[in-house]
Amino acid sequence: MSRDATGEPTRVSLQGIDKTFVPGRPVLRRVDFEIARAEIHALLGENGAGKSTLMNVLIGLIEPDAGSMRIDGRPVDFGHFAPSDAADAGIAMVHQHPTLVAAMTVEENMCFGDRRGGARFDPAAASSRLRTLVERYGLEVPIGGRVDTLSVGQRQRAEILRALDRGAKLLILDEPTAALTPGETEALFPALRRLRDEGCSIVFISHKLAEVEALADRVSVLRRGERVATLAVAELDARELGRLMLGRDLPGVARRVAPVAVEPRPVFCLRDVWTTGPRDGSSLEALELELRAGEIFGVAGIDGNGQRELEEMLAGVRPLSHGVIEVAGTPVEPGVTSLRSHGVSLLSGDRERAGLVAGFRLWENWALKCSRDGPPYFPNGLLAAVAARRDVGTAIERFAISPSDPDAEAGTLSGGNAQKLAVARELSGSPRVLVAVNPTRGLDVGSANFVHEQLLALRDRGGAVLLISTELDEILALSDRVGVLARGRLHGLSVGADRAEIGAAMLGGRAA
Amino acid sequence: MRPLPGVPAFVVDVVRSLLAVLAAALVAGAVIALLGYPPVEALRALLGGALGSGAALTATLLKFAPLLLTGLAVSLCFRCGVWNIGAEGQLYAGALLATILATKLMPSAPGWIAVPALVAASALGGALWASIAAALRAGRGVSEVISTILLNFIALQLVSLAVHGPLQEVSGAYPQSDALTAAFRLPAIGRLHMGIPLAVLLAGASSWLLFRTAIGFRMRAVGLSPTAARFAGIEPDRQLMSTLALAGAMAGIAGGVEVAGVTGRLFESLSPGYGYTAIAVALLARLHPLAVIPAAFLFAVLEAGGAAMQRGAGVPSVATDVLKGVVILLSIGMALGRQRSRGRETGALGAIGETV
Repeated sequence: MSRDATGEPTRVSLQGIDKTFVPGRPVLRRVDFEIARAEIHALLGENGAGKSTLMNVLIGLIEPDAGSMRIDGRPVDFGHFAPSDAADAGIAMVHQHPTLVAAMTVEENMCFGDRRGGARFDPAAASSRLRTLVERYGLEVPIGGRVDTLSVGQRQRAEILRALDRGAKLLILDEPTAALTPGETEALFPALRRLRDEGCSIVFISHKLAEVEALADRVSVLRRGERVATLAVAELDARELGRLMLGRDLPGVARRVAPVAVEPRPVFCLRDVWTTGPRDGSSLEALELELRAGEIFGVAGIDGNGQRELEEMLAGVRPLSHGVIEVAGTPVEPGVTSLRSHGVSLLSGDRERAGLVAGFRLWENWALKCSRDGPPYFPNGLLAAVAARRDVGTAIERFAISPSDPDAEAGTLSGGNAQKLAVARELSGSPRVLVAVNPTRGLDVGSANFVHEQLLALRDRGGAVLLISTELDEILALSDRVGVLARGRLHGLSVGADRAEIGAAMLGGRAA
Repeated sequence: MRPLPGVPAFVVDVVRSLLAVLAAALVAGAVIALLGYPPVEALRALLGGALGSGAALTATLLKFAPLLLTGLAVSLCFRCGVWNIGAEGQLYAGALLATILATKLMPSAPGWIAVPALVAASALGGALWASIAAALRAGRGVSEVISTILLNFIALQLVSLAVHGPLQEVSGAYPQSDALTAAFRLPAIGRLHMGIPLAVLLAGASSWLLFRTAIGFRMRAVGLSPTAARFAGIEPDRQLMSTLALAGAMAGIAGGVEVAGVTGRLFESLSPGYGYTAIAVALLARLHPLAVIPAAFLFAVLEAGGAAMQRGAGVPSVATDVLKGVVILLSIGMALGRQRSRGRETGALGAIGETV
């Protein structure tokens, strides 16, 4: 399937694209990116590697700080390159979350933003054009059907059809298979190949190696805002790709080995755990996990592969459809109240929305998770403000939380201080097990270090930590063992797994 | 207005509410002046009509009790993030069940059981009525804003049906129920019935529940952040059901008290819209149950004084509606200002600001 695309004229070429939103943290760094005519070009990269920003430059949503772009050889003036100009140039993006109007039919949707017919609203004409496209590419869509009655796959096909109807010559597909069933995915690929063979260019963002191998002609890898490689698919190798995506093991990231002998008997287990949910690869499937006292088990993975589902299942917010949670050998119901009573704390990955109540005072947040416990904060169903104020005061002092007033509202705290409060709360009462989800997301270096120290200290005291994080550096720096969550399944890796191996597991490839 | 450092939040809240009232009075005064009436004289007539004599004060206090009870019903719900616009319907449902009990089920009950039973029946009626909306929301996801409003009309029509049919007085002269027997009438000093101190007592109890108990803690947690509450092991649906039932009971008692303490009978226009004014009362009180007491009193003054203003100064009593409207707008506007100054979720009041 690999073709020598370099000999053909270039559809779009980006040269030296720079973009920085937050000073000192560039999102794109001198990125060169070329898309040939009639090629399927896969784009790979971790969360935050810059894929979306690069694509938003292509479709005119973001103006880069520096660099140039040529479409079909003609230079583009970024100052006057709006999304409508990109659309006129035949560049169309199909987003992960479809943007069709749910209460209207597919043909009616085709008329929105279509400026060819002037102000006329002519679903009938759109309908006949659509029928031709459907037949030509085998993209089956009920043209007269209301969008909200369509399946996810049908909606996506409708979006692709809309782009084609507008005469798209460059299609950008953002994780198009993420929400598709295997059958729908298989049906999509021939249509994309046919498009390619007719001269259309396709950028295909994906995290799935198998699909990239099956579909793409070339692959570009972005890492921390830089394009690190562009390869022909024939040259692909899962380990190499993983290494390219995640980088080499950094020298000097000292892994702190657990000082105490890890106990052989697991303190926290998930046995054959499944959750229900959309079939987008984020529901947990047959999850097996054993966590021992005195270790930090790091769960790496790209966002959207079941991290949130795992947290929600443990918190009792998402039902556990099958399987058992065991704490020290005893089966335990999911849910914060039940887990807490068995010494399991959950540090939420979304402190703003799920971890803390912004409108509650610090002491009220301190007591938040105990409202069904009774003492110490709710003896006889009454709120013991004095006890909660006293204990949060102690924590404020120990963790140097600012503002130090227990009566301050949590919404006034900075991200770092809010996380300190959440960490202090979850560590109070000496839990046996701490499940920490992205514990340093959005924190400055000092606060992040502080949180890391707390996790290590808990481990050194003989506690067990399940660290679920999309930050690979954090996982590698802290964990005694590492697993990878990919498409809702947890893949255990051998002790001392390197970045290439982890990267390959994230991409769903075989860790060679 | 940014909260000042060192000033307790409740002081800021009180000042805000007083400013809202003051500003509303100025706007209403301006409207009255524009209509060509002397505003100072109108105000004097209004206050005189509401507070100027023993009889006037009594009339005001009689309106104060249902406004306080329905105001509490709205406050408790809004605190829990439940947009209960149905206090009016819950009031009528309470009045209906209380009347059924007093005139049909146990008309000859002795005094010591009659009044407690009547209060309980009115609470039950309101709670059941509110629970319909709660069940629709928890079971089917129907917005309680819509369902409680619609249930208001249904409750009103049910009362209408009852007093034209099965509950109509034996003489059949008017569309109203038979008069309650003396045993069911609330104990009173003059016209000031026991429902007034009962309402104040319930305000205290609501405040205690909200700020001193685990139940109230969970209600407030759900109101401020349903997501965080769920992650803390609190089920928002359960809080919604219990809060709506509790609020319905309060509003239902308002209906029972009105029948057994003031009118002595059930008829269609029992409430001049207490359940709607209650929303303004709750907002002005910034959803604090104790603050509902003065807020309800203020609106009772407006209700009672409006008619006097019309009689005394010739100012149309709709001027008091202008006053009420401006108070509501300013209460919401200030909640919005507070939200923007912090740029974060502030829960119920902020959400009202967002939805309005």
